[in-house]
Amino acid sequence: MSRDLVTIKGGKDGFRLLVDSSASMEEIEAEIKKKLDENPGFFPEGTKFELEVADLDRSVKKGINQILSQHGLGVELSAKKDPPPVSDEQSQMPPQYFIQHDGNVEAQEMTVVEHTVRGGEEVTSQGSVLVMGNVNPGAQIIAGGSIDVRGTCRGMVHAGAWGDISAVVIADRLMPTQIRIANMIARSPDIMEKSDFAERASIKDGQIIIEPIER
Amino acid sequence: MSEVIVVTSGKGGVGKSTTTANLGVGLAMRGKKVVLIDTDTGLRNLDLLLGLENRIMYDLIDVVEGRVEIKKALVRHKKYENLQLLPTSQVKDKSAVNPADLMALCDELRKEYDFVIIDCPAGIEQGFQTAIAGADTAIVVTMPEVSAVRDADKIIGELGRSEKDNIKLIINRIRPAMVDSGEMMDMDDINDILAIKCIGQVPDDIKVVTSANRGEPVVGESDSQAGKAYENIVGRLLGEDIPFMEFEKEGFFKRLKKAFKF
Ligand SMILES: Nc1ncnc2c1ncn2[C@@H]1O[C@H](COP(=O)(O)OP(=O)(O)OP(=O)(O)O)[C@@H](O)[C@H]1O
Ligand SMILES: [Mg+2]
Repeated sequence: MSRDLVTIKGGKDGFRLLVDSSASMEEIEAEIKKKLDENPGFFPEGTKFELEVADLDRSVKKGINQILSQHGLGVELSAKKDPPPVSDEQSQMPPQYFIQHDGNVEAQEMTVVEHTVRGGEEVTSQGSVLVMGNVNPGAQIIAGGSIDVRGTCRGMVHAGAWGDISAVVIADRLMPTQIRIANMIARSPDIMEKSDFAERASIKDGQIIIEPIER
Repeated sequence: MSEVIVVTSGKGGVGKSTTTANLGVGLAMRGKKVVLIDTDTGLRNLDLLLGLENRIMYDLIDVVEGRVEIKKALVRHKKYENLQLLPTSQVKDKSAVNPADLMALCDELRKEYDFVIIDCPAGIEQGFQTAIAGADTAIVVTMPEVSAVRDADKIIGELGRSEKDNIKLIINRIRPAMVDSGEMMDMDDINDILAIKCIGQVPDDIKVVTSANRGEPVVGESDSQAGKAYENIVGRLLGEDIPFMEFEKEGFFKRLKKAFKF
């Protein structure tokens, strides 16, 4: 079997589109269409792909962008040059796990942040995020999946950021300024109580609820 | 072994220059050879805190631009001759010095001094990047105030990205009575958020201001709580294990007495 002309890979910073530079524009177009049709709804509208090609023609790049934009998607150019400040400190090989998505089993990566996320820092991941430290006031975590903070969460957390209403937020001490899950937003009470248990925030009956958990 | 320390904060006015002056004098009192560098070009004031303004001949800019030798620009302290100040310019701006200049300068000074302490300008712009460039250790000064702690947190993140991993915390201008009544953040909250080693808790003390006006840092003044706190920090910098002091505060009984005094 010949190797794929177009490959889509999920990574900690989003999706990457790998294109065989020997393929013609027509072949690439057909491949991308096929890939997208195989996984309807998997790539939420607005998803940007990082193009991983060294020697692709300008016109081909433009063509790819057009195909993607017809599907409500887009290309992130030169994403490599300007990585988010936190990601290069993240572990090189994040552990892989599998999630059930529309009946397909997709390999998705978990972003592991091995330090406290400080004010002004932002972690964004297509998959889930595990923070081995605190999320401080003024920090932001945005995850396609769930968020787990092994420490105190005081920042802004958005789980299921692309619409997954089954996503949850867990923290040893959950006292964020705001919790967002999918398209729902809950803000903290004006006087924050210190919580003594680990807690989980999730959507139940159309609203974000917080309950203690054991761990 | 010499150590280059940068004193930084993010937010302005929290006590960087005060800390630099007090640690400098405190370490000199303990017999260490110390040089203080003011990098707050344009807003210099470390010389005032040390009472040395009238002795300045040259400054940091003259040194980095090669007009004078470092030795000529150093101003010796009146009382402690093992303490020197490298002042900066009042008229130039922060772009006159770059990180490489400061790194080279620190490497030169560390050959002769036990401690090089750099007073950093507020903010996280170029002046900050320059000030931290040559440092082994960063001391982050903050106050028990939400915005100061938020800025300290950002600075700690920034230091981490510049590969400065040896970071210590000083909490300045604590008012114990306000902490007790819940009007001021308490030390545990601050330490929990910033999660770096705390080496000093300095109370808000009018003596800091009056002594600064005289050009004599408060460190070592036995009747000043802040002076005592700075002395303790000096000890901790020298590797001594000194417990944090309990602040004298207006306790329950004092308040009762006051209430009965009509
Ligand atoms: N512990 C303290 N108690 C009372 N006043 C203090 C204390 N520490 C600092 N101050 C006062 O606060 C003011 C600001 O201090 P300082 O100049 O050291 O701050 P800074 O961080 O260097 O400011 P800048 O960002 O402008 O350089 C000064 O007037 C100083 O006397
Ligand atoms: Mg200052």
